[in-house]
Amino acid sequence: MRLFRLSAVGDHSNRIGEMIMNERYSRQTLFHPIGDRGQEKIRSKHVLLIGAGALGSANAEFLTRAGIGKLTVVDRDYVEESNLQRQQLYTEKDVRDKLPKAEAAKMHCNDINREVEIEALIMDGTAQSLEPLLEGVSLIIDATDNFETRMVINDLSQKHRIPWIYGACVGSVGMTFTIIPGVTPCLNCLLRSIPIQGMTCDTGGIISPAVQVVVAHQAAEALKILVEDFDAVRQGFTTFDLWRNQYQSMKVGKAKKPDCLSCGDAPTYPFLTPENATKTTVLCGRDTVQVRPPKPRRLQLDKLGNDLNGSGYVVKSNPFLLSVEKEGERMVIFQDGRALIHGTKDMSHAKAMYQRILG
Amino acid sequence: MVKVLFFAHLKDEAGQEEISIEGNGFTVAQVKDKIAADLGIATLDSVMTAVNEEFANDETIVSEGDTVAFIPPVSGG
Repeated sequence: MRLFRLSAVGDHSNRIGEMIMNERYSRQTLFHPIGDRGQEKIRSKHVLLIGAGALGSANAEFLTRAGIGKLTVVDRDYVEESNLQRQQLYTEKDVRDKLPKAEAAKMHCNDINREVEIEALIMDGTAQSLEPLLEGVSLIIDATDNFETRMVINDLSQKHRIPWIYGACVGSVGMTFTIIPGVTPCLNCLLRSIPIQGMTCDTGGIISPAVQVVVAHQAAEALKILVEDFDAVRQGFTTFDLWRNQYQSMKVGKAKKPDCLSCGDAPTYPFLTPENATKTTVLCGRDTVQVRPPKPRRLQLDKLGNDLNGSGYVVKSNPFLLSVEKEGERMVIFQDGRALIHGTKDMSHAKAMYQRILG
Repeated sequence: MVKVLFFAHLKDEAGQEEISIEGNGFTVAQVKDKIAADLGIATLDSVMTAVNEEFANDETIVSEGDTVAFIPPVSGG
């Protein structure tokens, strides 16, 4: 009798547990293309999220609420006051505590959904540091702020046959593109002939709704991939400008290049080699880090100076270099893309500062 | 005529969202040169191009009635 009652109590609490679980995801499973089977799939998947800034923190929150099985968050930076206007997971307390973003994201996501396993990695995402993380990963989400890391993600995605979702935003502009190895062209097919001097949030500013529209696109694509509804995956490269009221979806079916070194017939994955990575060196006795791009760039220093001047940097220039200063940090940028970051010996911090300005 | 669309900050640089040019038979590279000469927009070598909403490169040839869109890539996040 006693045993029977105990087992009845056990059944009852299991049922309550199940009901809470069902209630939590009920609106998502009611959505027909997901359903209970899709929810099970989401629950069984592991996503690698690279970057925990604006796009990263919003993607992390979304995936956590959606009930992802495991989420790995990689970020090299810590929470600063200028993040709070758009990085909606973070708080003033995180700024006061100077919490690393990956750790702050983990803490807040744990508060939202304790069923999700979250791994926070405070580190610079490079070919060498990211490749060991790919075991068991179903999807990579790009929430970085520079094309160098995106090209690394692109090559890793092709080499390990893992889909990834490109997303970027500046000002009121955003863009997103889903790359499925073996099916779609890759980012190298689309951008290899374009010398990138992309606008960054530090040169062009950023408004929060532009972040959210990019994340909405990335998150919808993520759900499709996680429930394995590949027919539903968006085919084109989407761009919008919320201020100038422009929207364009560009077809890319013919852009896949058989000789592409990342996704073509004889891939070499060029962005996984150290020669194609930005180099940082601490200059002896000077409290300065030199940052050098993999190939010399031809920067338009006057344009860059104007952009930075308009976004709160104190800019001094001569025909050969720009000196920019903000919040006690000074950086000297040369036309070939080389830069000296003064007042630090932290190479990761210096690289973050460099890529925040130069993409 | 070929219609040219300017996205994002290019719209501000061009002072308008779209223009029409005599460009039948031009390559995209020639369209860029003409825009640079006519409107003084010097940054078109670092933008993506779509012809009739399809990804194009500098060698793509445009025809009468085509729409060419210039889209600057962004890297923030």
